[in-house]
Amino acid sequence: MKRFRRQHFWGLAVLLVATVAALGLDAHFRRALPDYAFLTGWILLGAMLVLTLYNARKKLPFLPIGNSETWLQVHIYLGFFTVLLFLIHLNFRLPHGQFEITLAWLFALVSGSGVAGLILSRVLPRRLATRGGEVIYEKIPALSHALKAEAENVALGAGARSPVIAEFYARRLAGFFSGPQNGWLHLVESRRPLNALIAGLDDLRRTGSDAERAMLEKLTTLVRQKDGLDYHRSLQLTLKLWLFVHIPLTYGLLIFTALHVVLVFGFSGGAR
Amino acid sequence: MSEPLAQNFDAQNYARPNQNWICGHADEGNPCRLGPDARGRCRATAECKPLLETKPGERKGRWRCTRPGGACESGPLPDGTCCRPIAKCSPAPTLRLIRRRLTLAIIAGSCAGLLVLLGVPPWRARFINPGPLLQPHSGAAFAAMAATNHLKSDCGACHVAGNSGPNGMVSAALHAQPGIFDLKKLAFAPPAEPTAMDASCLTCHAGKNFHQAAAPVISCVFCHAEHRGPVMAATTDTQCDFCHGDPAKMEVSRTVPVIHHFATDHPQFRFIAEGWRDPDTLKFDHELHLTGADIPRLPDGRKLDCGFCHQPDASGAYMAPVNFERNCRVCHFLQFDPQTPQLTLPHGSVEFVSAFLHSLPEQYARLAAREKVEDANGFVETKLAGLRTQFGSGVELERRVFFSTATFGPEAQIGTINGMTRAIFPGCAYCHEVKTSSVGSPEITKPMTPERWLADAKFSHAAHANIACEQCHDALHSRETADIILPAKETCEACHSPKGGVVDTCAECHVFHHLPDGMTHDEGLMTRE
Amino acid sequence: MPAVPTILERPQRWDAAFGPDMTDAAADRLLATAPFREMDAEKFPKRTPLRDILRYDTRLLRFRKGEIIVRQGDYGTSAFLILDGTARVVLQPALSPASLGRQAPGKKGLWRTLAQLWNGARPPESFSLEQLIPSSEIGARQDERDVRVFLQDLPRVLDAHRTEQMRAGDFFGEIAALSRMPRTSTIFADSDEAELLEIRWQGLRELMKNDNALRAHINKTYRERALASYLRATPIFQRLDEAQLERVAGAVEFSTFGDYDWSGDYKRLAQSGAVRPEKEPAIVTEGDYPNGIVLLRAGFARVSQKTGGGERTLNYLGAGQIFGLNEITHNWRNPDAPVNFQFSLRAIGYAHLLVAPTRVMEEIVLPSLQKNELPPPVKAKQSFDVDPPETGARENVGAEVLEFLTENRFFNGTAAMVIDLDRCTRCDDCVRACASTHDNNPRFLRHGPGVGRLMIANACMHCADPVCMIGCPTGAIHRESFGGQVVINPATCIGCKSCANNCPYDAIRMVEVRDRTAELMVDQEGKAIVKATKCDLCVGNYGGPACQRACPHGALTRMNLNNLDALTRWLKK
Repeated sequence: MKRFRRQHFWGLAVLLVATVAALGLDAHFRRALPDYAFLTGWILLGAMLVLTLYNARKKLPFLPIGNSETWLQVHIYLGFFTVLLFLIHLNFRLPHGQFEITLAWLFALVSGSGVAGLILSRVLPRRLATRGGEVIYEKIPALSHALKAEAENVALGAGARSPVIAEFYARRLAGFFSGPQNGWLHLVESRRPLNALIAGLDDLRRTGSDAERAMLEKLTTLVRQKDGLDYHRSLQLTLKLWLFVHIPLTYGLLIFTALHVVLVFGFSGGAR
Repeated sequence: MSEPLAQNFDAQNYARPNQNWICGHADEGNPCRLGPDARGRCRATAECKPLLETKPGERKGRWRCTRPGGACESGPLPDGTCCRPIAKCSPAPTLRLIRRRLTLAIIAGSCAGLLVLLGVPPWRARFINPGPLLQPHSGAAFAAMAATNHLKSDCGACHVAGNSGPNGMVSAALHAQPGIFDLKKLAFAPPAEPTAMDASCLTCHAGKNFHQAAAPVISCVFCHAEHRGPVMAATTDTQCDFCHGDPAKMEVSRTVPVIHHFATDHPQFRFIAEGWRDPDTLKFDHELHLTGADIPRLPDGRKLDCGFCHQPDASGAYMAPVNFERNCRVCHFLQFDPQTPQLTLPHGSVEFVSAFLHSLPEQYARLAAREKVEDANGFVETKLAGLRTQFGSGVELERRVFFSTATFGPEAQIGTINGMTRAIFPGCAYCHEVKTSSVGSPEITKPMTPERWLADAKFSHAAHANIACEQCHDALHSRETADIILPAKETCEACHSPKGGVVDTCAECHVFHHLPDGMTHDEGLMTRE
Repeated sequence: MPAVPTILERPQRWDAAFGPDMTDAAADRLLATAPFREMDAEKFPKRTPLRDILRYDTRLLRFRKGEIIVRQGDYGTSAFLILDGTARVVLQPALSPASLGRQAPGKKGLWRTLAQLWNGARPPESFSLEQLIPSSEIGARQDERDVRVFLQDLPRVLDAHRTEQMRAGDFFGEIAALSRMPRTSTIFADSDEAELLEIRWQGLRELMKNDNALRAHINKTYRERALASYLRATPIFQRLDEAQLERVAGAVEFSTFGDYDWSGDYKRLAQSGAVRPEKEPAIVTEGDYPNGIVLLRAGFARVSQKTGGGERTLNYLGAGQIFGLNEITHNWRNPDAPVNFQFSLRAIGYAHLLVAPTRVMEEIVLPSLQKNELPPPVKAKQSFDVDPPETGARENVGAEVLEFLTENRFFNGTAAMVIDLDRCTRCDDCVRACASTHDNNPRFLRHGPGVGRLMIANACMHCADPVCMIGCPTGAIHRESFGGQVVINPATCIGCKSCANNCPYDAIRMVEVRDRTAELMVDQEGKAIVKATKCDLCVGNYGGPACQRACPHGALTRMNLNNLDALTRWLKK
């Protein structure tokens, strides 16, 4: 880790202490109150609700209820701790019934997507900043559109008199400019498609006339810009898409959890 | 690595990621001024809203173009509409709106799916069942039994809310004891306290005698977890430990100390600690039988060993009772006429023996017939004369048969070993306690050999088959019937301890439940009134 | 995209007259009026004769009774001379914000805070009529050229406030004009047809430079009104008693460097490469004899050092900072081995500063200080590797960042929105938080110039030198009286765009306002009503700026870039 911040240290320290304490308490309570699943259940549900409250905090930015940054730190560390609580609640065993398996899967997906999101949020911004060409996600289609118009104008417009370039444009560039491209390749930081296009343009340049060279120069710039936009689109979209798993499933999980509570109490005549 | 900055976009206006809809023209870079409304409908009309200019007093006037950035060339149409309408777009939802819709869809889908699954009974039972039931609690056999016991079928057999739909479940949950939100009770109520569920268990398992009278009543599910598979899981020490490891709880018991583990603080077995003796009246010397030099070999040539008398029962767990005819008569023929050792007394009843002795001519006659003696009458006469010579009278013969214990001397004519006999028979009193009776025939105290010494404990000889008998049972040094030759705690502990490596849980030997009178653990645990 | 450099001639002095309707005749008339009548025209240099100053750097204004001439708290770049009629200065108590066309200060109440929960559904830029109707205490009238704001109920104002009359020949506004400080009081016309001469600061500076009487007058006024309290608040003078302070105040000289109007053409000049440290007016040149310490009172200055090819920036100084104390102290302690100024000090944009002469420092100030309050001695040969106390910024934030901040004049910001792109997940939570605290309208653009992993978003920086406030005709843009945030009152904003055009940081955006049904509001002419909008630093909000608090990754902060310590700390967080 490039910068091991002090808050990381304290966060991890607290998490570690809490983990050890929880495991110790678990061993103790499992002896004293062998049937204490309801206790861990309520604690687990409480933790899950606190985690969900972060979403509410985001909707109330005008209230003085703590920084979002602090909330997120709590969210992350408590999230990890909640996974432990979950395992304790399950007594480190796999569930059996269809309902409980579904419930466990929901929990796993929500926490798994959370961890994935955490990694993405730490890795992708740095890559975006390194690449440069900062752009607001919602503006990308418009910018893309403008680039396409400009590229078409350069390659096919009234001033362009180069069948070679027009052919190259129709064959290689028209598709490239027509919409978002190479989402997955950008995510894995592959520059292959860009390099292929640039190489194609370079080939033409070697044989082209002066006028054609100027056009190719311009097209190269446009291709690079479009590639930069695609890169930003791919990474920024990924930074948004993981929440499409995390947030909707959270609410699914809460509904299943509510039913779980009803079943546990309705079918036990008490908390057993 | 750094790319050139993308073209400057329209920085004159705010980006509004808080809006749910984006103008359909935004992708082409020319969103309209108004933008979509909150529900995503295009609000575009025309480039301007012409203004009617009227002179004072007149009703008609001139429409004037109010287009921002200067009036257009052709101006408003005569009816006052702008001449440059804006093409309607179909606004696009933002990613966030799509996400919100997905969230709502998941919420709605979860609710609907769960309601359907909970609303259809067969689906419900399969869906919410948290795990396979015990074999006795499932299948057609249980259903039939449930029907005869006037129980509901399926989940309803045990669970109050078992056959109800969503409403019933919620209502049952709300009426649960302790309640859903009764956190204090939930957290601090003793976990073993019975719940409403126990009532369901007792519908079938009624009359079960639950442990010591002084002990608190314990919920069935405290030890017996259901929905964990077809075979009931063994009770673990944790459950026993809950009371037996807790000095406060064990205060009520005057006899049982606090026990955590067999190896650490289990006391010496009581029959040793308290010096129990076997009160049986039968006289038997294990040492003699196993090591005596005079003990003949068995008919098949084997040496007499434990296994000849102590045979496992059908289950293999315990030893079948020793039986005279099967185990003793092979040596102890009960012959009384030294000249005729093949004639033996019956065993098991004083009256039979007495009747046998009173009908000796008949008995000799039957023997003659069995042995195909030609002169049967002569044979009987000869034998009776021999007896008369030896015993003097029938009364004396009967007295000696019952009471003599002499193995030598004048009294020892019975049971000499020669010819066909293997063991002497001095008389019944040699093994049995024989008393004179005022009524006439003597009384023989019936031997009381316990089938099992520790009836509430579990043991399996079969499981210990790889161990020699004398490793545990010190029969080689036992001369008296009164010796209880069961192993001491230390003997068991050698293996059954963490050190020995063999399982040492409480439930390995002990049984929690008391049984109704006359019932053994081997018979099923289920009883019915 | 490599832009073709825009070739632009550097604007020349007097390309445009201050008042377009100034005529030679009017200038001649002024020459015959006091105090210009008393001035010696011979003393003025040939390039800037007195008559041309009056011709090009002044304008004649007429006010009717009750019309506001200057507002307390406004920034202005000109002084006024009453030619005819009278004016009144409001002394005690000051006029209420409402009667100056401003927003009433204060927090939103609990109800309005909670109401933001459901206000999120409002259409963009929708206003209620109440929000757009100005206070009844003021009125506005538009003549052919200007918008004039007047006090509606003059008798009540005169009744409730202590005021003082000013007559023909009285000068006012010169301190604010020269020092770029807010106006200290409100002045309104007291007679119909009051005629005033407005002198822009460039002209005032020339006049002051060349006319002893005016200079003496202004210096005297300055010393009387502003100097003593300012010196008293400066740490190095704190141990002086009253008599000593008076002596210091008597010896201090003040001056203004640079160009007040730097903001207007600055961006175009910067892009054309015309802005280079060497071109900026030097306050102190490296190697000069240290004739005194420089106290920066307003504006900014760059500390630089000569290198082989030119000069490189080591740090910049903002208001309240001191330059030259090291050298003066060194020379006072080591009279045998005196040193000269080790660095150059150049005004960036403009700088208003005080100079406390060496003699005063050595005799009065330095002896009063404790040993630990004195700077360490200057090393004989200052190498580039050694960090002098006032140059640490370069190493802390890096040369590239320092150049970036200086080139773009971001040190002006007291609450600049700094985004760390290494941490920013582009989630727009900041923008949404901003929108939900402003009736569903974002008040900044999450985009802007950047260097490395830093981005300075297009959000109002609440500048130390708020150039946007110069030229607002109605006082709609103003500093909040408590926190000093620059805010715009939509009710009095007339949509003239002068603030938006003045802002060199693209922080102010004009919006077409709508009613609550999302229909565009129009005036009688059918034209859309336009208002200037920008970040108000959540002035009425509990808990401070929502954007900063809404950032889940701590990637966004509102930061005072006057002082790079905070930036250094934040980057290392």
